Amino acid sequence: MSKGITVFDPTTTPKEQPLRYASRPATLQGRKVGLVDNTKINSDKLLLKIGKILEEQHGVQGMLLRRKRNSGVPAHDEILNELGAECDVMIAGVGD
Amino acid sequence: MSLAEKQSSSNDLSDTIEASEFYFARGWTDGLPVIPPTKDSVQAMLDSVGREAGEEVAFIANRQTRITAEKVAVNAVMAGCKPSYMPVVVAALEAISDPLWGYHGPATSTGGSAVFMLVNGPIARMLDINSGDNLFGPGWRANATIGRAVRLVMRNVINTLPGKLDRSTLGHPGKFTYCIAENEAESPWPPVHVERGFSPEQNAVTVFAALAPHQIYNQLSNTAEDVLTTMADNMRISSSVTRQPQYVVLVAGEHMQIIAGDGWSKTDIKRFLFAHTESSVAHLKRTKRISGEILPQDEKTMRPLVQTPEDIIIVAAGGRAGAFSAFIPGWGSKVTSQSVTKEIRQP
Repeated sequence: MSKGITVFDPTTTPKEQPLRYASRPATLQGRKVGLVDNTKINSDKLLLKIGKILEEQHGVQGMLLRRKRNSGVPAHDEILNELGAECDVMIAGVGD
Repeated sequence: MSLAEKQSSSNDLSDTIEASEFYFARGWTDGLPVIPPTKDSVQAMLDSVGREAGEEVAFIANRQTRITAEKVAVNAVMAGCKPSYMPVVVAALEAISDPLWGYHGPATSTGGSAVFMLVNGPIARMLDINSGDNLFGPGWRANATIGRAVRLVMRNVINTLPGKLDRSTLGHPGKFTYCIAENEAESPWPPVHVERGFSPEQNAVTVFAALAPHQIYNQLSNTAEDVLTTMADNMRISSSVTRQPQYVVLVAGEHMQIIAGDGWSKTDIKRFLFAHTESSVAHLKRTKRISGEILPQDEKTMRPLVQTPEDIIIVAAGGRAGAFSAFIPGWGSKVTSQSVTKEIRQP
């Protein structure tokens, strides 16, 4: 049967890129934790509370809190480099 | 790349009615029927901007998404655009991919903004983009379809689906389309694109992550100061108040005549509104917009609505009759998204 109209797909898919997870330490004992504040209200308080629990219950030694420029952008190089150099693990991804 | 080498897959259907249902069924529309994009109609869109199908129009960095000319053309046809509208759609997409606009924030936030588009320059009159009566309402093809095309690209190409990537709590009708022109023919002031460094003969589109328009009413006054006092009072507590986004202020016909009649420039309007829209920290704490105990100094400590007077964008637009104007609060804060103006290029 003949068809009357040929139409196009309007969608696309994001460019694929390889992602690699950082290796996880076997224990947090004696490790320093980096905290990435995304600027949302109370995100710093929540992260510091999580950090304190990790210190008290999992032997973490030391925290470093740094703030992104705003919640809509990735963390900038300056704080990523500092956290990467100073810390063993990092916590990010705080929502509303 | 010609359409013969197109990236888009195609589907053979019996007629436009079946095609319309086909697009609904796949979730490719904004809830309204679309025009089925055919080879010829998509090619006409591409020809109007002199772009090849696979050419990149914009790249949304934090979605890692390339927006190709062909996909823009397909969605522009679906929206009901004429080919002559395509340069405006392309420029608007270039603008929302600018890091200053910051796509991820306004497109995905629970705060629910839309892409307000202001078209300046001769192209606005050439395309009959409404800048007068009922400019936010229905009835003008260019206003209705240019904004719709951008939203369809956001949906279909950048995958900004309501309830998924787009997490707007409420959204607003401007998310269907939110495109107007400035009334340059009757305005006593320089148009927005000229304020931003373009020549009057150039064409430009300004995008702004925007909440819904708020209408203000003052039929009693015949001075600039009195009209703008009402405007400032309406603006003072609006949007998220403490976050200092940018604002658009639309000054419509009667108010435009009164304000210009007093010899006020756009700069005068901005300075007056900036000075009269600040709130005391005590009030913001009392009304639970800032946390914390009210301190004695809070009664006299003032917080401006916006960072600077230039963050109030003045647009001459709206009908000649009626003592109404409007303001449009920006989404979020200026730190997370700023208005961006791009030239509309025609081949």
